[in-house]
Amino acid sequence: MNRTILYDEHLALNAKMVDFAGWEMPVQYTGIKDETLTVRQAQGMFDVSHMGEIRILGAGAGEFLDYVLSRKISHKNPELTNYAFLCYEDGGVADDLMVYQLDTDDYWLVVNAANTDKDFAYLEVMLTKYDRQNEILIINETADYGLIAIQGTGSLTPTINALAPIYPDLNISERVEALKRFRQVSFPLDDKRMVVSRTGYTGEDGYEVYLPVTDTIKLWQNLLKENVKPCGLGARDALRLEAGLPLYGHELSSEINPLEAGLGKFVELERDFVGKAMVDKQQRQLIALISQDKSIPRDGYRVFIQDQEIGYITSGSFSPTLNKGIAFALVSTDLAENTTKVEVAIRRKNHIYKITTTPFV
Amino acid sequence: MAEYRDDRYYVDSHEWILFDGDTATIGISDFAQEELGDIVYVEADSVGEKLEKGEIFGSVESVKVASDLFMPVDGEVLEFNEDLEEEPELINEDAYAAWIIKIKVSDPEQIEDLLDAKKYQEITE
Repeated sequence: MNRTILYDEHLALNAKMVDFAGWEMPVQYTGIKDETLTVRQAQGMFDVSHMGEIRILGAGAGEFLDYVLSRKISHKNPELTNYAFLCYEDGGVADDLMVYQLDTDDYWLVVNAANTDKDFAYLEVMLTKYDRQNEILIINETADYGLIAIQGTGSLTPTINALAPIYPDLNISERVEALKRFRQVSFPLDDKRMVVSRTGYTGEDGYEVYLPVTDTIKLWQNLLKENVKPCGLGARDALRLEAGLPLYGHELSSEINPLEAGLGKFVELERDFVGKAMVDKQQRQLIALISQDKSIPRDGYRVFIQDQEIGYITSGSFSPTLNKGIAFALVSTDLAENTTKVEVAIRRKNHIYKITTTPFV
Repeated sequence: MAEYRDDRYYVDSHEWILFDGDTATIGISDFAQEELGDIVYVEADSVGEKLEKGEIFGSVESVKVASDLFMPVDGEVLEFNEDLEEEPELINEDAYAAWIIKIKVSDPEQIEDLLDAKKYQEITE
């Protein structure tokens, strides 16, 4: 089992640890409800060092990414972090990821922990089909970097206060303060770098800090001193679902393409790229559901209109913020346009769920 | 650390049962509530039914998971603890006070098959 550099910190905080994609990770410290509400009302932090950083480096790296990803990365503002899909030929998704441009011809793909090895192998295969393959290097840098997400309105001050003492020679305060949403700044270190982006997976404002593993414990401890509350993967999942954000393996997979998942705005179809075939494969659609009683929808529960089964729940949870059951469901595109309600089969009964819009909160 | 009480019996699916004459109350153990985390919903839609040992009488849900509840013995479900409808977190606060259902026990001899606190504690360690 893999452990992040912060493993002992989690144990010291009495975290409940679980196996997540081969990583021993904290699912909660004090409680999922408490942690979720803290991020909505104050600031929380997450150890997400298990996520993968795959570096694509060399002349033509941008064009290579244009070809393998759902968006034309090479011509975007290099300060922007870009959400994109790595697809298979048929349009099914190998992974959803964030692209960071570090320098000219130098990119990071930040990928789901469960997919890091798979993505790396797939990119290597794709590279063999690319005419400038000899100029490009693909490097898995996951083991070299820690990643801490600081989330919640007001995250700026604790983030700067925690980071600045670790890197007194870098102009942290000024450059991080200037960051706008979905942008990143990269600070070169000796043979590595430290990256701060104003991004996250909670629907709240916040920052994600990538830094060498050797500095990661210090940042975590400094953030604790700044009263940023440690939050586990349980709260992270509740927060992302409340925010209406997809999770690979649930709303996206090799069997569910981005257009079916309603994520067409991250797919630039007017050009050639691996996975363009998705445009002809849209038999299902993702809808958002909210409970009308006290029931809680869970992954895999079946969805009906009258007696007809139309699909299933891809992610379902209790929402600590709304005190209601919320879910994504993948259903047939035959659904009548004026449909406002469906039924979810929960144990012995069917429960009425209202179709709603995301974000849920 | 989870608490174990020796005034009652347990089953390996983590329910406790506390006998009182020919009736009994059933809940989940302190270990189970710790494992589940914040409990946000409890349901027992079996009131009035006669169920056998091992059958599902309801469910308890935390933010993350739904967990079925199983009868530790045969019996008729007499009552659901309605306090839990509004305050399911009572189980987190005191799992041994927050009973979930009350039953009429059908076969008192089944007590032989139940775990005492010590044996139950052993299987949770």
